[in-house]
Amino acid sequence: MFFLGQDFNFDSDFKVKLGFFHFSSCSGCQVAFLDMFEDLVEILDTVELAYSNMLTKKKDVPRLHIAFAEGALCIEDKRHLSLAKELAEKANIVVTVGGCASFGGIRRLSVGSQAPQPSHQSFIPLTEVELLKQKIKYAIPGCPPNPSLLYNFMIALLEVNEDFLQPFEFMANSKDACGFDVVKEVINKGLCVGCGTCVTACPSRAMNFNYHYNRPTFKPTLCVHCGSCLAACPQSFKPYPQPIYT
Amino acid sequence: MLKLDRQFLFGKLKGIYEVTCIKENPLQFILKEMMKEEFIDGVIGTTQEGVKVKPQLFIAPEEIRLSRLYFHSGQNTFLKKAIQKYRLNKIAIVAPSCIFDGLNKTQYYGIGCNWAKTAVALKVGILCLGITSEEGLECELLDITGESKEIVRNYLSPEGYFFETNSGEKIKVNMETHHHYINSGCKYCLNLSARGSDITYIPLQNDRSGIFILRSERGWRTLGILQKKFPEAFKFRLLGFKDISYVEDLLRQKLILNIDYILERVEMGLPVPKWNSNRFRKFYRLWNSVNDVNIEEEAF
Repeated sequence: MFFLGQDFNFDSDFKVKLGFFHFSSCSGCQVAFLDMFEDLVEILDTVELAYSNMLTKKKDVPRLHIAFAEGALCIEDKRHLSLAKELAEKANIVVTVGGCASFGGIRRLSVGSQAPQPSHQSFIPLTEVELLKQKIKYAIPGCPPNPSLLYNFMIALLEVNEDFLQPFEFMANSKDACGFDVVKEVINKGLCVGCGTCVTACPSRAMNFNYHYNRPTFKPTLCVHCGSCLAACPQSFKPYPQPIYT
Repeated sequence: MLKLDRQFLFGKLKGIYEVTCIKENPLQFILKEMMKEEFIDGVIGTTQEGVKVKPQLFIAPEEIRLSRLYFHSGQNTFLKKAIQKYRLNKIAIVAPSCIFDGLNKTQYYGIGCNWAKTAVALKVGILCLGITSEEGLECELLDITGESKEIVRNYLSPEGYFFETNSGEKIKVNMETHHHYINSGCKYCLNLSARGSDITYIPLQNDRSGIFILRSERGWRTLGILQKKFPEAFKFRLLGFKDISYVEDLLRQKLILNIDYILERVEMGLPVPKWNSNRFRKFYRLWNSVNDVNIEEEAF
Protein backbone atom coordinates (compact mmCIF):
# COMPACT_ATOMS: atom_id res chain seq x y z
CA MET A 1 0.00 0.00 0.00
CA PHE A 2 1.36 3.36 -1.05
CA PHE A 3 0.91 5.05 2.32
CA LEU A 4 2.98 2.45 4.21
CA GLY A 5 6.29 3.83 2.92
CA GLN A 6 9.48 2.04 1.92
CA ASP A 7 10.59 1.11 5.44
CA PHE A 8 7.44 -0.88 6.10
CA ASN A 9 7.96 -4.33 7.62
CA PHE A 10 5.04 -6.74 7.70
CA ASP A 11 6.32 -8.63 10.78
CA SER A 12 6.46 -5.72 13.15
CA ASP A 13 3.95 -3.23 11.70
CA PHE A 14 0.84 -5.31 11.23
CA LYS A 15 -1.51 -2.39 11.90
CA VAL A 16 -1.70 0.83 9.91
CA LYS A 17 -0.78 3.74 12.19
CA LEU A 18 -3.17 6.67 12.14
CA GLY A 19 -2.89 10.06 13.76
CA PHE A 20 -5.31 12.94 14.26
CA PHE A 21 -3.93 16.47 14.30
CA HIS A 22 -5.84 19.45 15.53
CA PHE A 23 -5.20 22.98 14.27
CA SER A 24 -7.58 25.89 14.54
CA SER A 25 -11.08 24.39 14.49
CA CYS A 26 -13.98 23.28 16.67
CA SER A 27 -12.80 19.62 16.81
CA GLY A 28 -16.07 18.61 15.15
CA CYS A 29 -14.20 16.50 12.61
CA GLN A 30 -12.70 14.30 15.33
CA VAL A 31 -16.13 14.05 16.94
CA ALA A 32 -17.53 12.96 13.54
CA PHE A 33 -14.84 10.26 13.52
CA LEU A 34 -16.16 9.02 16.88
CA ASP A 35 -19.73 9.20 15.60
CA MET A 36 -19.06 6.13 13.48
CA PHE A 37 -19.84 4.12 16.65
CA GLU A 38 -19.66 0.35 16.00
CA ASP A 39 -18.20 0.88 12.51
CA LEU A 40 -15.22 2.56 14.17
CA VAL A 41 -14.54 -0.64 16.13
CA GLU A 42 -14.49 -2.53 12.83
CA ILE A 43 -11.86 -0.13 11.46
CA LEU A 44 -9.76 -0.29 14.62
CA ASP A 45 -9.21 -4.01 13.98
CA THR A 46 -7.01 -2.99 11.07
CA VAL A 47 -5.57 0.34 12.20
CA GLU A 48 -3.96 1.69 15.32
CA LEU A 49 -4.82 5.15 16.53
CA ALA A 50 -1.24 6.19 17.34
CA TYR A 51 -1.77 9.88 18.04
CA SER A 52 -4.65 12.24 18.74
CA ASN A 53 -4.85 15.24 21.05
CA MET A 54 -8.38 14.26 22.07
CA LEU A 55 -8.39 10.47 21.94
CA THR A 56 -4.93 9.41 23.18
CA LYS A 57 -2.67 10.54 26.00
CA LYS A 58 0.52 10.50 23.94
CA LYS A 59 2.45 13.77 23.86
CA ASP A 60 5.11 12.84 21.32
CA VAL A 61 4.10 12.34 17.72
CA PRO A 62 5.25 8.88 16.52
CA ARG A 63 5.97 7.90 12.91
CA LEU A 64 2.60 7.61 11.14
CA HIS A 65 1.38 6.02 7.97
CA ILE A 66 -1.63 8.30 7.61
CA ALA A 67 -2.22 11.59 9.41
CA PHE A 68 -5.66 13.17 9.45
CA ALA A 69 -5.51 16.90 10.07
CA GLU A 70 -8.40 19.17 10.98
CA GLY A 71 -8.52 22.94 11.23
CA ALA A 72 -6.90 25.91 9.55
CA LEU A 73 -3.32 26.91 10.26
CA CYS A 74 -2.93 30.15 12.22
CA ILE A 75 0.08 31.97 10.79
CA GLU A 76 0.81 33.81 14.07
CA ASP A 77 0.65 30.70 16.25
CA LYS A 78 4.14 29.18 16.82
CA ARG A 79 2.62 25.91 18.05
CA HIS A 80 0.75 25.51 14.79
CA LEU A 81 3.91 26.07 12.79
CA SER A 82 5.88 23.50 14.78
CA LEU A 83 2.99 21.02 14.57
CA ALA A 84 2.87 21.48 10.79
CA LYS A 85 6.64 20.83 10.62
CA GLU A 86 6.24 17.70 12.71
CA LEU A 87 3.34 16.58 10.52
CA ALA A 88 5.46 16.97 7.39
CA GLU A 89 8.33 15.02 8.98
CA LYS A 90 6.50 12.14 10.58
CA ALA A 91 3.52 11.30 8.38
CA ASN A 92 3.74 9.33 5.14
CA ILE A 93 0.61 10.95 3.79
CA VAL A 94 -1.69 13.65 5.15
CA VAL A 95 -5.45 13.77 4.69
CA THR A 96 -7.11 17.10 5.46
CA VAL A 97 -10.47 16.57 7.10
CA GLY A 98 -13.26 19.12 6.87
CA GLY A 99 -13.71 22.56 5.41
CA CYS A 100 -11.20 24.44 7.63
CA ALA A 101 -8.21 22.24 6.79
CA SER A 102 -9.14 21.71 3.15
CA PHE A 103 -10.54 25.03 1.96
CA GLY A 104 -10.22 27.46 4.86
CA GLY A 105 -13.77 27.05 6.09
CA ILE A 106 -15.31 29.43 8.55
CA ARG A 107 -11.89 30.63 9.80
CA ARG A 108 -10.93 31.97 6.43
CA LEU A 109 -14.15 33.85 5.77
CA SER A 110 -14.18 35.29 9.32
CA VAL A 111 -17.96 35.17 9.38
CA GLY A 112 -18.16 33.10 12.56
CA SER A 113 -19.66 34.43 15.76
CA GLN A 114 -16.22 34.78 17.34
CA ALA A 115 -13.86 37.61 16.40
CA PRO A 116 -10.20 36.61 15.99
CA GLN A 117 -7.95 37.23 18.97
CA PRO A 118 -5.43 40.10 18.69
CA SER A 119 -2.49 37.75 18.26
CA HIS A 120 -4.31 35.23 16.08
CA GLN A 121 -5.45 37.03 13.00
CA SER A 122 -4.69 35.09 9.85
CA PHE A 123 -5.74 31.58 8.98
CA ILE A 124 -4.97 29.52 5.92
CA PRO A 125 -6.07 26.00 4.99
CA LEU A 126 -3.40 23.33 5.34
CA THR A 127 -3.65 22.67 1.59
CA GLU A 128 -2.00 26.06 1.03
CA VAL A 129 1.06 25.36 3.20
CA GLU A 130 3.94 24.64 0.80
CA LEU A 131 5.70 22.41 3.33
CA LEU A 132 2.66 20.13 3.51
CA LYS A 133 1.62 20.24 -0.14
CA GLN A 134 3.80 17.26 -1.01
CA LYS A 135 2.28 15.22 1.79
CA ILE A 136 -1.38 16.17 1.43
CA LYS A 137 -2.85 13.54 -0.79
CA TYR A 138 -6.59 13.86 -0.11
CA ALA A 139 -9.02 16.49 1.15
CA ILE A 140 -12.37 15.54 2.67
CA PRO A 141 -15.11 18.21 2.42
CA GLY A 142 -17.79 18.92 5.04
CA CYS A 143 -18.40 20.83 8.22
CA PRO A 144 -18.01 18.34 9.76
CA PRO A 145 -17.72 15.51 7.21
CA ASN A 146 -20.41 12.90 7.65
CA PRO A 147 -19.34 9.87 9.72
CA SER A 148 -20.52 7.68 6.85
CA LEU A 149 -18.21 9.58 4.49
CA LEU A 150 -15.28 9.16 6.89
CA TYR A 151 -16.06 5.47 7.21
CA ASN A 152 -16.30 4.98 3.44
CA PHE A 153 -13.10 6.97 2.97
CA MET A 154 -11.19 4.91 5.55
CA ILE A 155 -12.30 1.66 3.97
CA ALA A 156 -11.39 2.93 0.49
CA LEU A 157 -7.99 4.09 1.74
CA LEU A 158 -7.23 0.73 3.34
CA GLU A 159 -8.39 -1.13 0.24
CA VAL A 160 -6.70 1.42 -2.07
CA ASN A 161 -9.94 1.91 -4.00
CA GLU A 162 -8.70 4.49 -6.49
CA ASP A 163 -12.10 5.06 -8.07
CA PHE A 164 -13.42 6.20 -4.73
CA LEU A 165 -10.34 8.22 -3.76
CA GLN A 166 -9.88 10.08 -7.05
CA PRO A 167 -12.29 13.00 -6.35
CA PHE A 168 -10.74 13.56 -2.91
CA GLU A 169 -7.34 13.77 -4.55
CA PHE A 170 -8.77 16.39 -6.90
CA MET A 171 -10.21 18.34 -3.97
CA ALA A 172 -6.79 18.59 -2.32
CA ASN A 173 -5.81 20.91 -5.19
CA SER A 174 -9.15 22.64 -5.56
CA LYS A 175 -10.35 25.97 -4.20
CA ASP A 176 -13.99 25.42 -5.16
CA ALA A 177 -15.86 25.10 -1.92
CA CYS A 178 -18.85 27.41 -1.65
CA GLY A 179 -22.29 27.94 -3.16
CA PHE A 180 -20.91 30.41 -5.68
CA ASP A 181 -18.89 27.56 -7.11
CA VAL A 182 -22.06 25.50 -7.56
CA VAL A 183 -23.49 28.45 -9.47
CA LYS A 184 -20.28 28.87 -11.48
CA GLU A 185 -19.47 25.24 -12.18
CA VAL A 186 -22.91 23.67 -12.50
CA ILE A 187 -25.81 26.09 -12.91
CA ASN A 188 -24.13 28.59 -15.24
CA LYS A 189 -22.85 25.79 -17.45
CA GLY A 190 -26.36 24.42 -17.93
CA LEU A 191 -25.59 21.22 -16.07
CA CYS A 192 -27.98 21.55 -13.11
CA VAL A 193 -30.90 19.13 -13.16
CA GLY A 194 -32.52 20.47 -9.98
CA CYS A 195 -32.15 17.34 -7.85
CA GLY A 196 -31.52 19.22 -4.59
CA THR A 197 -28.53 17.15 -3.42
CA CYS A 198 -26.51 20.32 -2.75
CA VAL A 199 -29.28 21.60 -0.49
CA THR A 200 -29.29 18.46 1.60
CA ALA A 201 -25.48 18.50 1.76
CA CYS A 202 -25.20 22.05 3.08
CA PRO A 203 -24.66 22.03 6.87
CA SER A 204 -25.48 25.71 7.35
CA ARG A 205 -28.61 26.10 5.20
CA ALA A 206 -26.80 28.49 2.89
CA MET A 207 -28.11 26.46 -0.04
CA ASN A 208 -31.85 26.59 -0.49
CA PHE A 209 -34.17 25.53 -3.27
CA ASN A 210 -36.51 27.50 -5.49
CA TYR A 211 -39.26 25.07 -6.46
CA HIS A 212 -40.70 27.49 -9.00
CA TYR A 213 -37.54 27.59 -11.11
CA ASN A 214 -36.32 24.20 -9.97
CA ARG A 215 -32.87 25.50 -9.07
CA PRO A 216 -30.84 25.86 -5.87
CA THR A 217 -30.41 29.33 -4.40
CA PHE A 218 -27.47 30.55 -2.34
CA LYS A 219 -27.19 32.84 0.70
CA PRO A 220 -23.49 33.82 0.94
CA THR A 221 -23.75 35.17 4.50
CA LEU A 222 -24.58 31.69 5.81
CA CYS A 223 -21.92 29.81 3.86
CA VAL A 224 -19.05 28.28 5.87
CA HIS A 225 -16.98 27.37 2.83
CA CYS A 226 -16.90 23.65 3.58
CA GLY A 227 -17.14 22.27 0.03
CA SER A 228 -20.02 19.87 0.67
CA CYS A 229 -22.40 21.33 -1.92
CA LEU A 230 -20.14 21.06 -4.93
CA ALA A 231 -18.73 17.71 -3.81
CA ALA A 232 -22.24 16.28 -3.38
CA CYS A 233 -23.56 17.59 -6.71
CA PRO A 234 -24.03 14.66 -9.10
CA GLN A 235 -22.89 16.87 -11.98
CA SER A 236 -19.52 17.81 -10.43
CA PHE A 237 -18.04 14.34 -10.66
CA LYS A 238 -19.45 10.89 -10.99
CA PRO A 239 -17.96 7.73 -9.57
CA TYR A 240 -16.30 5.50 -12.13
CA PRO A 241 -17.59 2.92 -12.66
CA GLN A 242 -21.14 3.83 -11.66
CA PRO A 243 -22.16 1.92 -8.53
CA ILE A 244 -24.77 -0.75 -9.07
CA TYR A 245 -27.23 -1.35 -6.27
CA THR A 246 -29.33 -4.49 -6.13
CA MET B 1 -20.17 2.79 -32.50
CA LEU B 2 -22.78 2.84 -29.77
CA LYS B 3 -26.15 1.64 -30.84
CA LEU B 4 -29.52 2.94 -29.77
CA ASP B 5 -30.71 -0.59 -29.21
CA ARG B 6 -33.18 -1.81 -26.58
CA GLN B 7 -30.39 -2.53 -24.12
CA PHE B 8 -29.29 1.09 -24.37
CA LEU B 9 -32.82 2.51 -24.22
CA PHE B 10 -34.33 0.34 -21.49
CA GLY B 11 -31.33 -1.17 -19.69
CA LYS B 12 -31.41 -4.51 -17.91
CA LEU B 13 -34.84 -5.68 -16.83
CA LYS B 14 -36.64 -8.71 -15.48
CA GLY B 15 -40.11 -8.15 -16.89
CA ILE B 16 -42.60 -5.57 -18.18
CA TYR B 17 -46.18 -5.45 -16.92
CA GLU B 18 -49.15 -3.26 -17.49
CA VAL B 19 -50.75 -2.92 -14.07
CA THR B 20 -54.35 -1.76 -13.74
CA CYS B 21 -55.74 -0.93 -10.33
CA ILE B 22 -59.50 -0.64 -9.79
CA LYS B 23 -59.17 1.84 -6.90
CA GLU B 24 -56.67 4.52 -7.91
CA ASN B 25 -53.34 5.11 -9.63
CA PRO B 26 -51.47 1.79 -9.29
CA LEU B 27 -48.18 3.37 -8.16
CA GLN B 28 -49.93 5.42 -5.49
CA PHE B 29 -51.91 2.37 -4.32
CA ILE B 30 -48.78 0.21 -4.18
CA LEU B 31 -46.88 2.76 -2.10
CA LYS B 32 -49.83 3.23 0.28
CA GLU B 33 -50.26 -0.49 0.84
CA MET B 34 -46.51 -1.02 1.25
CA MET B 35 -46.46 1.62 3.93
CA LYS B 36 -49.46 0.05 5.68
CA GLU B 37 -47.65 -3.30 5.63
CA GLU B 38 -44.50 -1.56 6.95
CA PHE B 39 -42.32 -2.60 4.03
CA ILE B 40 -41.52 1.10 3.78
CA ASP B 41 -41.82 3.85 6.37
CA GLY B 42 -41.76 6.94 4.16
CA VAL B 43 -42.05 8.07 0.58
CA ILE B 44 -40.13 10.94 -1.01
CA GLY B 45 -41.89 11.99 -4.17
CA THR B 46 -43.66 14.95 -5.64
CA THR B 47 -47.13 16.29 -5.05
CA GLN B 48 -49.17 18.68 -7.13
CA GLU B 49 -51.32 21.76 -6.64
CA GLY B 50 -52.71 22.63 -10.04
CA VAL B 51 -49.71 23.16 -12.31
CA LYS B 52 -47.34 23.54 -9.36
CA VAL B 53 -45.28 20.44 -8.66
CA LYS B 54 -43.28 20.31 -5.46
CA PRO B 55 -41.34 17.62 -3.63
CA GLN B 56 -42.94 16.10 -0.58
CA LEU B 57 -42.03 13.67 2.17
CA PHE B 58 -45.00 11.41 2.97
CA ILE B 59 -44.76 9.69 6.34
CA ALA B 60 -48.31 8.31 6.59
CA PRO B 61 -50.15 6.19 3.97
CA GLU B 62 -53.21 8.46 3.88
CA GLU B 63 -50.99 11.47 3.05
CA ILE B 64 -49.68 10.00 -0.19
CA ARG B 65 -50.88 12.03 -3.16
CA LEU B 66 -48.39 11.70 -5.98
CA SER B 67 -48.06 14.28 -8.68
CA ARG B 68 -49.51 13.41 -12.08
CA LEU B 69 -47.43 16.00 -13.92
CA TYR B 70 -43.77 15.04 -14.26
CA PHE B 71 -42.29 13.68 -11.06
CA HIS B 72 -39.34 15.92 -10.76
CA SER B 73 -38.48 18.78 -8.45
CA GLY B 74 -35.66 18.53 -5.93
CA GLN B 75 -36.70 15.37 -4.07
CA ASN B 76 -33.21 15.08 -2.60
CA THR B 77 -33.79 18.20 -0.50
CA PHE B 78 -35.88 15.96 1.77
CA LEU B 79 -33.25 13.28 2.32
CA LYS B 80 -31.75 14.76 5.45
CA LYS B 81 -35.15 15.52 6.95
CA ALA B 82 -36.32 11.96 6.34
CA ILE B 83 -33.20 10.21 7.60
CA GLN B 84 -31.92 12.49 10.34
CA LYS B 85 -35.06 14.21 11.63
CA TYR B 86 -37.71 11.50 11.26
CA ARG B 87 -35.22 8.59 11.55
CA LEU B 88 -36.80 6.78 8.61
CA ASN B 89 -34.80 3.81 7.42
CA LYS B 90 -37.03 2.19 4.80
CA ILE B 91 -37.70 5.04 2.42
CA ALA B 92 -39.18 4.66 -1.05
CA ILE B 93 -38.13 7.30 -3.55
CA VAL B 94 -40.19 8.13 -6.62
CA ALA B 95 -38.12 10.13 -9.09
CA PRO B 96 -36.55 10.20 -12.54
CA SER B 97 -32.96 9.12 -13.11
CA CYS B 98 -31.29 12.50 -12.49
CA ILE B 99 -32.56 12.55 -8.91
CA PHE B 100 -31.21 9.03 -8.45
CA ASP B 101 -27.81 10.22 -9.68
CA GLY B 102 -27.61 12.51 -6.66
CA LEU B 103 -28.97 9.83 -4.37
CA ASN B 104 -26.56 7.19 -5.70
CA LYS B 105 -23.67 9.54 -5.16
CA THR B 106 -24.80 10.30 -1.62
CA GLN B 107 -25.10 6.58 -0.97
CA TYR B 108 -21.76 5.71 -2.54
CA TYR B 109 -19.60 8.44 -0.99
CA GLY B 110 -21.58 9.49 2.06
CA ILE B 111 -21.20 13.18 1.15
CA GLY B 112 -24.37 15.10 1.84
CA CYS B 113 -26.70 12.95 3.87
CA ASN B 114 -25.44 10.63 6.56
CA TRP B 115 -26.11 6.89 6.22
CA ALA B 116 -28.29 7.28 3.10
CA LYS B 117 -26.81 3.97 1.98
CA THR B 118 -28.85 1.94 4.43
CA ALA B 119 -32.00 4.08 4.56
CA VAL B 120 -33.45 3.63 1.07
CA ALA B 121 -35.65 0.58 0.63
CA LEU B 122 -37.08 1.09 -2.85
CA LYS B 123 -36.25 3.23 -5.86
CA VAL B 124 -39.15 3.80 -8.22
CA GLY B 125 -37.80 5.42 -11.36
CA ILE B 126 -40.00 7.43 -13.69
CA LEU B 127 -39.57 7.30 -17.43
CA CYS B 128 -38.84 10.95 -18.19
CA LEU B 129 -38.68 12.69 -21.55
CA GLY B 130 -37.38 15.93 -20.07
CA ILE B 131 -39.05 18.39 -17.74
CA THR B 132 -39.82 22.07 -18.01
CA SER B 133 -40.30 24.77 -15.42
CA GLU B 134 -43.81 26.19 -14.95
CA GLU B 135 -42.95 29.05 -17.28
CA GLY B 136 -41.36 26.71 -19.79
CA LEU B 137 -44.52 24.61 -19.84
CA GLU B 138 -46.64 27.71 -20.40
CA CYS B 139 -44.45 28.79 -23.32
CA GLU B 140 -44.44 25.30 -24.80
CA LEU B 141 -48.24 25.26 -24.75
CA LEU B 142 -48.42 28.68 -26.35
CA ASP B 143 -46.11 27.37 -29.05
CA ILE B 144 -48.20 24.25 -29.67
CA THR B 145 -51.76 25.52 -29.26
CA GLY B 146 -51.41 29.29 -29.40
CA GLU B 147 -53.27 29.75 -26.14
CA SER B 148 -52.58 29.54 -22.44
CA LYS B 149 -53.86 26.45 -20.65
CA GLU B 150 -53.46 24.69 -17.33
CA ILE B 151 -51.72 21.34 -17.68
CA VAL B 152 -52.39 18.84 -14.95
CA ARG B 153 -51.00 15.62 -16.33
CA ASN B 154 -48.60 14.06 -18.82
CA TYR B 155 -48.60 10.51 -20.16
CA LEU B 156 -47.50 8.21 -22.96
CA SER B 157 -49.85 6.48 -25.35
CA PRO B 158 -49.42 4.59 -28.65
CA GLU B 159 -50.19 7.89 -30.42
CA GLY B 160 -47.28 9.68 -28.75
CA TYR B 161 -46.51 11.91 -25.79
CA PHE B 162 -49.47 13.88 -24.41
CA PHE B 163 -50.33 16.67 -21.98
CA GLU B 164 -53.78 16.77 -20.41
CA THR B 165 -55.42 20.05 -19.39
CA ASN B 166 -57.67 20.53 -16.36
CA SER B 167 -60.67 20.52 -18.73
CA GLY B 168 -59.65 17.07 -19.99
CA GLU B 169 -58.29 18.24 -23.36
CA LYS B 170 -55.45 16.14 -24.69
CA ILE B 171 -52.54 17.88 -26.41
CA LYS B 172 -50.05 15.88 -28.44
CA VAL B 173 -46.48 17.04 -27.93
CA ASN B 174 -43.90 16.93 -30.66
CA MET B 175 -40.53 15.74 -29.32
CA GLU B 176 -38.54 18.48 -31.08
CA THR B 177 -40.76 21.22 -29.70
CA HIS B 178 -40.57 19.66 -26.26
CA HIS B 179 -36.78 19.39 -26.50
CA HIS B 180 -36.58 23.13 -27.12
CA TYR B 181 -38.37 24.04 -23.89
CA ILE B 182 -36.96 21.53 -21.43
CA ASN B 183 -34.42 22.16 -18.69
CA SER B 184 -30.96 22.37 -20.25
CA GLY B 185 -29.72 19.69 -17.82
CA CYS B 186 -32.26 17.28 -19.37
CA LYS B 187 -30.83 17.84 -22.83
CA TYR B 188 -27.80 15.64 -22.24
CA CYS B 189 -29.51 12.90 -20.23
CA LEU B 190 -29.00 9.41 -21.62
CA ASN B 191 -30.86 7.57 -18.91
CA LEU B 192 -34.44 8.45 -19.77
CA SER B 193 -35.83 5.11 -18.63
CA ALA B 194 -34.21 5.31 -15.15
CA ARG B 195 -31.83 2.38 -15.43
CA GLY B 196 -30.55 1.41 -12.03
CA SER B 197 -33.90 1.76 -10.23
CA ASP B 198 -35.89 -1.16 -8.83
CA ILE B 199 -39.03 -0.38 -10.83
CA THR B 200 -39.54 2.02 -13.73
CA TYR B 201 -43.02 3.48 -13.95
CA ILE B 202 -44.54 4.78 -17.18
CA PRO B 203 -47.81 6.75 -16.85
CA LEU B 204 -50.50 5.83 -19.36
CA GLN B 205 -53.64 7.56 -20.67
CA ASN B 206 -55.86 5.76 -18.18
CA ASP B 207 -54.73 7.13 -14.82
CA ARG B 208 -55.56 3.83 -13.15
CA SER B 209 -53.08 1.89 -15.20
CA GLY B 210 -49.38 2.18 -15.79
CA ILE B 211 -46.48 0.23 -17.22
CA PHE B 212 -44.07 -1.20 -14.65
CA ILE B 213 -40.62 -2.26 -15.82
CA LEU B 214 -39.26 -4.53 -13.12
CA ARG B 215 -35.48 -4.37 -12.88
CA SER B 216 -34.36 -5.82 -9.57
CA GLU B 217 -35.28 -8.70 -7.32
CA ARG B 218 -36.59 -6.14 -4.84
CA GLY B 219 -38.95 -4.61 -7.40
CA TRP B 220 -40.07 -8.04 -8.50
CA ARG B 221 -40.85 -9.16 -4.95
CA THR B 222 -42.63 -5.90 -4.11
CA LEU B 223 -45.13 -6.38 -6.90
CA GLY B 224 -45.39 -10.12 -6.20
CA ILE B 225 -46.31 -9.60 -2.56
CA LEU B 226 -48.96 -7.00 -3.36
CA GLN B 227 -50.42 -9.11 -6.15
CA LYS B 228 -50.84 -11.97 -3.70
CA LYS B 229 -52.34 -9.73 -1.05
CA PHE B 230 -54.79 -7.87 -3.30
CA PRO B 231 -55.67 -10.24 -6.15
CA GLU B 232 -58.96 -8.42 -6.75
CA ALA B 233 -57.45 -4.91 -6.80
CA PHE B 234 -54.82 -5.44 -9.49
CA LYS B 235 -54.85 -6.73 -13.03
CA PHE B 236 -51.45 -7.65 -14.41
CA ARG B 237 -50.75 -8.02 -18.11
CA LEU B 238 -47.37 -9.31 -19.20
CA LEU B 239 -46.02 -7.14 -22.00
CA GLY B 240 -43.35 -7.82 -24.57
CA PHE B 241 -41.17 -5.27 -26.32
CA LYS B 242 -43.66 -5.30 -29.22
CA ASP B 243 -46.39 -3.97 -26.94
CA ILE B 244 -44.29 -1.00 -25.88
CA SER B 245 -42.75 -0.25 -29.28
CA TYR B 246 -44.27 3.26 -29.07
CA VAL B 247 -42.30 3.90 -25.85
CA GLU B 248 -39.14 2.68 -27.58
CA ASP B 249 -39.79 5.00 -30.54
CA LEU B 250 -40.31 8.02 -28.30
CA LEU B 251 -37.18 7.23 -26.30
CA ARG B 252 -35.18 6.84 -29.48
CA GLN B 253 -36.46 10.16 -30.88
CA LYS B 254 -35.57 11.98 -27.68
CA LEU B 255 -32.18 10.31 -27.30
CA ILE B 256 -31.17 11.28 -30.82
CA LEU B 257 -31.92 14.92 -29.94
CA ASN B 258 -29.96 14.60 -26.68
CA ILE B 259 -26.97 12.96 -28.36
CA ASP B 260 -26.96 15.69 -30.98
CA TYR B 261 -26.81 18.23 -28.14
CA ILE B 262 -23.86 16.49 -26.46
CA LEU B 263 -21.91 16.14 -29.70
CA GLU B 264 -22.47 19.80 -30.52
CA ARG B 265 -21.32 20.77 -27.04
CA VAL B 266 -18.08 18.83 -27.35
CA GLU B 267 -17.38 20.01 -30.89
CA MET B 268 -17.98 23.63 -29.93
CA GLY B 269 -15.80 23.25 -26.84
CA LEU B 270 -18.56 24.56 -24.56
CA PRO B 271 -17.95 24.17 -20.80
CA VAL B 272 -18.29 20.68 -19.46
CA PRO B 273 -18.24 19.44 -15.85
CA LYS B 274 -14.87 20.55 -14.50
CA TRP B 275 -14.00 17.62 -12.33
CA ASN B 276 -14.61 15.01 -14.98
CA SER B 277 -14.33 16.89 -18.21
CA ASN B 278 -13.78 13.55 -19.88
CA ARG B 279 -17.42 12.58 -19.38
CA PHE B 280 -18.86 14.23 -22.48
CA ARG B 281 -15.66 13.69 -24.42
CA LYS B 282 -15.62 10.03 -23.45
CA PHE B 283 -19.12 9.72 -24.85
CA TYR B 284 -18.04 11.58 -28.00
CA ARG B 285 -15.21 9.10 -28.50
CA LEU B 286 -17.49 6.14 -27.84
CA TRP B 287 -20.13 7.44 -30.21
CA ASN B 288 -17.60 7.83 -32.99
CA SER B 289 -15.57 4.71 -32.30
CA VAL B 290 -15.75 1.77 -34.66
CA ASN B 291 -15.47 -0.84 -31.91
CA ASP B 292 -18.75 -2.45 -31.05
CA VAL B 293 -18.37 -2.23 -27.28
CA ASN B 294 -21.42 -1.65 -25.16
CA ILE B 295 -20.02 0.38 -22.29
CA GLU B 296 -22.56 3.18 -22.08
CA GLU B 297 -23.13 2.31 -18.42
CA GLU B 298 -19.58 3.43 -17.71
CA ALA B 299 -19.79 6.59 -19.77
CA PHE B 300 -22.93 7.84 -18.03
